[in-house]
Amino acid sequence: MKYMILTYASQRDYDGMAGKPAEERVWSAEEFAAMGEFMEAFNKDLADSGELVETRALAAPVLTRRLRLQNGVPVATDGPYAEAQEVLAGYWIVECDSFDRATEIAARLAGCPAPEQVAATAVADVRPIADSVAELEP
Amino acid sequence: MPGTEEALLAAAMQWPDDGVPEHPRGWLITVASRRLTDLLRGEQARQRREDTVASRALPEQWLAPAADRPASDADDTLVLLFMCCHPVLSPASQIALTLRAVGGLTAAEIARAFLVPEATMTRRISRAKQRIKDSGIPFAMPPGGERSERLAAVLHVLYLIFNEGYASTSGPELQRAELSAEAIRLARMVHRLLPDDGEATGLLALMLLTDARRPARTGPDGGLVPMAEQDRSRWNADDIAEGVALITGALPRGPTGPYQLQAAIAAVHDEAPSAEATDWPQIVALYELLRRISDNPVVALNHAVAVAMVDGPHAGLELLGALQADERIAGDHRLHAVRAHLLEMAGDRAGARDAYQAAARCTTNLPQQRYLHARAARLTGDR
Repeated sequence: MKYMILTYASQRDYDGMAGKPAEERVWSAEEFAAMGEFMEAFNKDLADSGELVETRALAAPVLTRRLRLQNGVPVATDGPYAEAQEVLAGYWIVECDSFDRATEIAARLAGCPAPEQVAATAVADVRPIADSVAELEP
Repeated sequence: MPGTEEALLAAAMQWPDDGVPEHPRGWLITVASRRLTDLLRGEQARQRREDTVASRALPEQWLAPAADRPASDADDTLVLLFMCCHPVLSPASQIALTLRAVGGLTAAEIARAFLVPEATMTRRISRAKQRIKDSGIPFAMPPGGERSERLAAVLHVLYLIFNEGYASTSGPELQRAELSAEAIRLARMVHRLLPDDGEATGLLALMLLTDARRPARTGPDGGLVPMAEQDRSRWNADDIAEGVALITGALPRGPTGPYQLQAAIAAVHDEAPSAEATDWPQIVALYELLRRISDNPVVALNHAVAVAMVDGPHAGLELLGALQADERIAGDHRLHAVRAHLLEMAGDRAGARDAYQAAARCTTNLPQQRYLHARAARLTGDR
């Protein structure tokens, strides 16, 4: 069974990670390196256990393009996410024995080092993936 | 001028002739020391496993000998490389098939290196094999007339594999040194099979001379360390000595191709005892030769930097002006970053800061953004 683990961040979080001077304090080199090391180990463990299908990090929310139909024609506009608090920032697809196991994996992300103001609001979601037509049928 | 040259050399290494490569975050489990004996031992079991995921088993004769096994199967190895890098295949398929059939990596290992699901990589490999099969290409050496063109394709594929490993830095962008090591192993094998080919020699030299700097390239916090600030005592002296000997032997024999020139440039850097002692006029001359045979905007960018080191920042900025009209690089963060460095060198702090910030907006890579924002912040003087 496959599950998707989703993590979120705001544009301000991204700016902090990118070292962009702003009101919010930016991540120090040590903080940034610590997160990198944690993620490296986390991903390696998942790969070694054979549970990792794939993982990706997404670029900053401001780079989003949203498509809408206008008079039946798709029109792209720049993302609506500049101010939003929770924007998809990255995901893992894991293949494991149970929803509980996937939840256990996601819970490990709580150990990811991050500046206080980021850790305070961090959330992750776990969602089962419907990966074949058969599973969609009753 | 700290920073620029390493960034630019890295940039040149990252820019294959056919466009900007994808640099997904990725991990490769240890593959560097794989040998044919291991491959053969594991082959039966592996074939059984791969058959269950609908992969086509490799034909017997496609197995490549290890780089260190002497001659008898040498021609077969070359033929195999020519097949894997056949122009009917896309570059992505050429890379996958080369790593699978010649490198002996499993589909799972290759999938992990390029961060795609294993099933996707298995499909890519079996489709590539089917494509070769359907095209009716015989398992034989390409005819004489085609040979140099086909060898160029093989070298390009090895170059791309090396770049995939070298281009990633640390932090969230993880090192994939194993991929570079595998590319070096394959380049070494090609050089052994074709010792008189200047470009095969040049490619191996280029890889060694570039990879030699890897230990000094990232700092303790995982950030990229520009070449001018690197601790040169940490460069790999054995790799440098081997690379310098290879390129020194190849250059006088001619004809001189782009890999040899890039290797020569890398050698000039590697032999300089310090950043200040770099022989910039020689590097300018080598880039001028390279520009004559390669219409690559990153080469032009590197050339502009070298000119700035010899004739001053304004001479470099003038050359950048011409590049701005080149749409292949106009929106690229590297152009802005170089402009920023040269403006900083010229004493234009405000202009440099704006250019660094523009560069940061043009990349989605967080470590690069951090580097560029830090350079910009230094110039505002309030942090």
